[in-house]
Amino acid sequence: MTELATTVWQGLAAAGLGAAEGWGVPPAVPGPMWIGLIPALPLLAVVLCTLCAIFKVKSKLPAWLTVGCLAASFVVTLLMYLNMSGSPMLSTAFTWIDVSWGSERSPRNLHANFGFYIDSLTCLWMLFVTGLATLIALYASEYMSHDVGKGYSRFFAAFSLFVFSMACLVMADNLILLYLGWEGVGLCSYLLIGYFYKKPSAVAAAKKAFIMNRIGDLGLALGIFLIFVKFGTVEYAKLFADGAFKEMLGHAMTGTSESWAKIPWDVKLIPILLMVGAFGKSAQFPLYVWLPDAMEGPTPVSALIHAATMVTAGVFLIARTYAVFQLSPSALTIVAIIGTVTALLAATIGMAQFDIKRIMAYSTVSQLGYMFAGLGVMTSVGACFHVFTHAFFKALLFLACGAVMHGFAGQLDLRKLSGVGKMPGWRIVGITMLVGCLNLAGFPLLAGFWSKDMILAQAFITPGMGLVGWVLLLTAGLTAYYTFRVYFRVFVGPQEHHPGDEAHGHDDHDAHGHGGHGHDDHGHAKADHKHEAHDFHPHPPGWAINLVLVVLAAASFAIIPLTFMGKHGGWVGDMVSHSSAAWSAPGEHHDDHAGHSHAAGDTHSHAGESSRSHDEEKLGTFLGMDPHAVMYYVSGVVGLIGIGVAYRLHLQGRTSAATSRADALLPMLGPIPKWAQNKWYVDEFYHFLFVRPLWVLSHIFHLIDRMLVDGLVNLAGILPRALGATIRPSQSGQLHGYAVAMAGGIGVLLLIVLLVAR
Amino acid sequence: MAILAPSMFLADVELSNYLPIVVIVLMAITFGIINVGVSMLLGPRRKGKVKGVTYESGMNPVGTARKRFNVRFYLIAVVFLVFDVEIIFLYPWASTFAHLTPQSEESLLWLGRIMFFLLTTVVAYLYGWRKGVFKFD
Amino acid sequence: MTMQSMHDKILELWPELVLFAGTCVVMVMGLSPKLAVRRMCAPVAGAALAVAGVLAALTTPEGRGLLPGLMPFAKVVVSVVGLAMLLLLDGTVDRTEERLIASGQPFNPLRTNRAEFYAFFLFSLTGLMLCASANDLIWLFLALELTSLPTYIMVTISRGGKAGARSQEAGVKYFFLGAMGAATFLFGFALLYGATGTTNLQAMKEFFAHAGEGGGITDLAIAGMLMSLLGVAFKIAAVPMHLYTPDVYEGAAAPVSAFLAFTPKTAGFISMILLCSTMGWTHGAGHSLPDLVRLLLWVMAALTMTVGNVLAILQSNVKRMLAYSSVAHSGYMLVALVAGPGSGRGITDNGLAAILFYLLSYGLMNLGAFAVLACLERRPGPDGEYREIETVDDLRGLCKTQPALGWTMVVCALSLLGFPPLLGFFAKVPLFTSAIAAGEIVLVVILGVNAAIAAYYYLRLVAMPLLEEPDATLPPAARTPFVSRPLAAFISAASVVVLVAFAGTLMREAGEAAKPPKATGHSNAAK
Repeated sequence: MTELATTVWQGLAAAGLGAAEGWGVPPAVPGPMWIGLIPALPLLAVVLCTLCAIFKVKSKLPAWLTVGCLAASFVVTLLMYLNMSGSPMLSTAFTWIDVSWGSERSPRNLHANFGFYIDSLTCLWMLFVTGLATLIALYASEYMSHDVGKGYSRFFAAFSLFVFSMACLVMADNLILLYLGWEGVGLCSYLLIGYFYKKPSAVAAAKKAFIMNRIGDLGLALGIFLIFVKFGTVEYAKLFADGAFKEMLGHAMTGTSESWAKIPWDVKLIPILLMVGAFGKSAQFPLYVWLPDAMEGPTPVSALIHAATMVTAGVFLIARTYAVFQLSPSALTIVAIIGTVTALLAATIGMAQFDIKRIMAYSTVSQLGYMFAGLGVMTSVGACFHVFTHAFFKALLFLACGAVMHGFAGQLDLRKLSGVGKMPGWRIVGITMLVGCLNLAGFPLLAGFWSKDMILAQAFITPGMGLVGWVLLLTAGLTAYYTFRVYFRVFVGPQEHHPGDEAHGHDDHDAHGHGGHGHDDHGHAKADHKHEAHDFHPHPPGWAINLVLVVLAAASFAIIPLTFMGKHGGWVGDMVSHSSAAWSAPGEHHDDHAGHSHAAGDTHSHAGESSRSHDEEKLGTFLGMDPHAVMYYVSGVVGLIGIGVAYRLHLQGRTSAATSRADALLPMLGPIPKWAQNKWYVDEFYHFLFVRPLWVLSHIFHLIDRMLVDGLVNLAGILPRALGATIRPSQSGQLHGYAVAMAGGIGVLLLIVLLVAR
Repeated sequence: MAILAPSMFLADVELSNYLPIVVIVLMAITFGIINVGVSMLLGPRRKGKVKGVTYESGMNPVGTARKRFNVRFYLIAVVFLVFDVEIIFLYPWASTFAHLTPQSEESLLWLGRIMFFLLTTVVAYLYGWRKGVFKFD
Repeated sequence: MTMQSMHDKILELWPELVLFAGTCVVMVMGLSPKLAVRRMCAPVAGAALAVAGVLAALTTPEGRGLLPGLMPFAKVVVSVVGLAMLLLLDGTVDRTEERLIASGQPFNPLRTNRAEFYAFFLFSLTGLMLCASANDLIWLFLALELTSLPTYIMVTISRGGKAGARSQEAGVKYFFLGAMGAATFLFGFALLYGATGTTNLQAMKEFFAHAGEGGGITDLAIAGMLMSLLGVAFKIAAVPMHLYTPDVYEGAAAPVSAFLAFTPKTAGFISMILLCSTMGWTHGAGHSLPDLVRLLLWVMAALTMTVGNVLAILQSNVKRMLAYSSVAHSGYMLVALVAGPGSGRGITDNGLAAILFYLLSYGLMNLGAFAVLACLERRPGPDGEYREIETVDDLRGLCKTQPALGWTMVVCALSLLGFPPLLGFFAKVPLFTSAIAAGEIVLVVILGVNAAIAAYYYLRLVAMPLLEEPDATLPPAARTPFVSRPLAAFISAASVVVLVAFAGTLMREAGEAAKPPKATGHSNAAK
């Protein structure tokens, strides 16, 4: 105890709280200007694609332009990574906002550069954002080929704009630029979900995503305002070095109720508000319902935006402002609980869906829940690690599903496809899908296994989070089950396929996604494929799609050595723990880690956390064992059980696409599967609770608008007219009238001035 | 800032400086009133047809006075005005120039100025010429 | 003024001298019986402007006066915008006359207006440049009048045929009311002279700064300043001196209206900046303007914005709408005039820089809107008259019938509205930031509300060409046969987009132009 107290004291002293440095963040050094190329190149692609749209280019040119620019951006990102030193780099493109006001004594200044704050967290994020974006753009060049000439340029312009916005979000050196990027990715998401704008469901989904995100964005905006009001800056470097901020951080670290009381309530509100923003963007309960609907967009978009990158912006926000989150005693607990609830809820819904893309969407929501739970239980390393691995294997899964959808004319129902992996030309898709599924299921020794494991172990270690750990463990089992339910039904088993409603005669995909008429009604699952074989042939993916799938599968494997190279997340862990997200939970940092971590900050955070957990309290265990040691085995076993159940229910003895053994079990569960299939009626609940009242309200407002506002506007029209009528003599071209009015005006104005001055 | 009030204006301005102007204005008004008044008092008043015509001892006017004149009259008048003003400007210049040291930089500057001014009138003359002001047909 | 300073002053006046030489040449050349020579008027005027611009950028020495950097910036802006205006002015006068001559009628110099038109155009810009060079009240008065007097005549002769009656009416109105405005500020100047005993602006500033030592700002000086500003308000079309604006803009041909929206307004604002600089901010006697002067500008700004915008909403005639919006834009800039140059900590809180930048931006984008009107006409009716495009309905579906012009209108209207990321937005931002920095929050709110009102009618100019279908019952509007007019429109639209990339540089340049002189020790003397 005394030892701990001494460590706290030393940690505080070493970190120089209230003095020079941040807690673990060394002062920023100026960075090179060429970093600006990373967002600039995608922006160039936007301009070029827009030009293509204007000149009605009817080739794949926009795709190649985009791929080229994004690849160049990725190369620059790599260079940036190689240029990294221990300190974060600040690089300013130009002064963006600089407003001063207030009196001499208390000058206020809002200053935000269009500048970049580059630390290892930024690098980590940008590496996979630009890397995946390049690959997915390549994939999309083939995937979107039906649309060449129509929406092709539009698609790639929005795609590049997304990468630009994401780069702004991640690389921003201040919260306002982050907000710009935040809104930018939201906009691009809206544009791309609604890409098939002739399809009503796509338009509705786009609107839903946009409006749901507004709720979160409001929280984020308020959080940023509050940060500015309380700390007078929106720039990370200045915020982290701010005296008042560090003082409050010190109070939070002390952890006693008196010291908590020293932090004003409105400061404690900041993390809650930021959290709302993160929940909206990262599709956490209760704001998750937009994400599954977002699958209306083209699959590459789902892969890039709604699985790999944009939805992790919430995780990034929390990781970037992790210190701010320490200022509230409850914020991270809420994050953990919400994350866990989301993970479980989405997993249960995912188990009962039949649309494979939708299952992937729910698994994304569920995995995002994991990441939030990881943040909540104080393992920012685990959360970011999971973001990183998830980005690769989830992109892989989506793209594999997309290849199926592309080849089978929009067919996504797992009851109508079987044995796809064995069909000629589909072998690569089948294998890469297996890689993705194994990762998602947490199959031992794969990348997804390591990252999920870290979060699970930490949940058991952090005091008071035991329940979170158990729920997450259960969810891991469910995840393995529903993942392999897809794999066993669609990719292996007897070969059978029915084309989707986008098949128009022989391989005609012209109406791809444009609300095809669906001249074949394939509702009857019993129809055999021979009957349809004469008018439909699935076309296997071409080289671009295959290449991307293989690269992604290889990348998912390549992450494993990155993980193995050290403890606690290996390379990724290093990246995260050298950044502003470098808070660690008790028990995670051991002495071996201090070597490559910033010594002063690490000691401090370590000590701070220990004190926060009320010192004597024993760290959590897993059934009396050290979670880090046993969790590898436990979660591995849970994953295998899930896979085994899926095998038993969905592959063994299955003879057709439509039925499986699971169908026999369903009645035993009563109405639960139906509820799960209907997403626990959350959408209906929201509809009843929000949409309907808002609908009524909007009609009322419409009436008010018609009567009152239009009335006012008309009045505003009538008043000047009436006024005009009185000055009509001078308005009708009477020169002297003007002269008199001017002279009178001068008189009146002078009179006003004199009277007011008096 | 104090309030703007007439009394404060008076405090600012040395009114006595304006006294000569006041005296001249008063003299002018008085002179006019006296002239009119005295002629009203002393002058004989006779009314008759001849007394009422425009030119009491000339030819009777023909046609209306509100007749359009050829625009060239005005053009000539304007050109005349240009040279008229030029002469008015030349006079004070000449009277000052005589007092300047010959060949000095100052006198050269003065010379340059008036040459510039004369140039403008030459341009005006040239313009008038091209415009056909001097052609009266 | 000593002799030596006269020498220096002439050094600063090379651009004006070049313009004057150009004027003389144009005036004579335009009267040549040979068509080829007459046609050279516009190129000669353009060359003079270009040379003047280059000279202004290169030779203008570091001035001393109240705002040392103002001269080169203002003169370059004037020549750049002037060149664009020149493109637009092509074919405004003598269209019918030239047709008659081409059909065999002898050339009659008395009936043509080309020489006068281009000469007066250059005269007006000369006056505008002289305004920027002014260091004396008398100079300022003459420069202001040299700017305005030619415009009266340009308005009058800008249209021929039946429409000529309207332009003549507009010209006469403009002239008489302009004379009244001139009388007002001349009265103000006289009072200022009476209060300070000098007409030199620098001397006046020093007089105001030396409170208690036979100087200081007296009530007479305040009265003079108020009258001066109210008089100059005519030039910028601010309330209450705005009444002439719609009639004159409507009566004049569209290119001339565009010219009116830029030239007198710029002259007026430069004069106002110079006048206010003698009394307040850090340039003159104090940190802020005297209360009464500030109050006058404040009320004027609020009224001008609001009146301009509210009345613009009601207009169906595009030229009247743009006229009222020109009033409103003056109001926006007055806000920055109230704010003043700020603390000098950053360029964004310098209101004077904001005004100078806004003048440039407004000149360009407004030019584009008027240029679109000038490029279009209805084909001659039974009476052989060309009809100008005037009402908002005439723009219906323009993006489909004349895509280039339609999009120019859309871009320019959006920019005028201050839509990001166009030039108008970046021009408007410093107005806001400078006023916020000066603590004029109420005025900023009024400005914001007005910017929103302005959206209402500017969006009509966007929606009509872009969203509506062309009116099938009318023959579509055709292009006027003047090549350089669409060129002016496109240049304007392009600059609205492209200059955004240089907004920072331009703003910095404007900041240099509005930089106060180096401290002379007593500039901040207490009142």
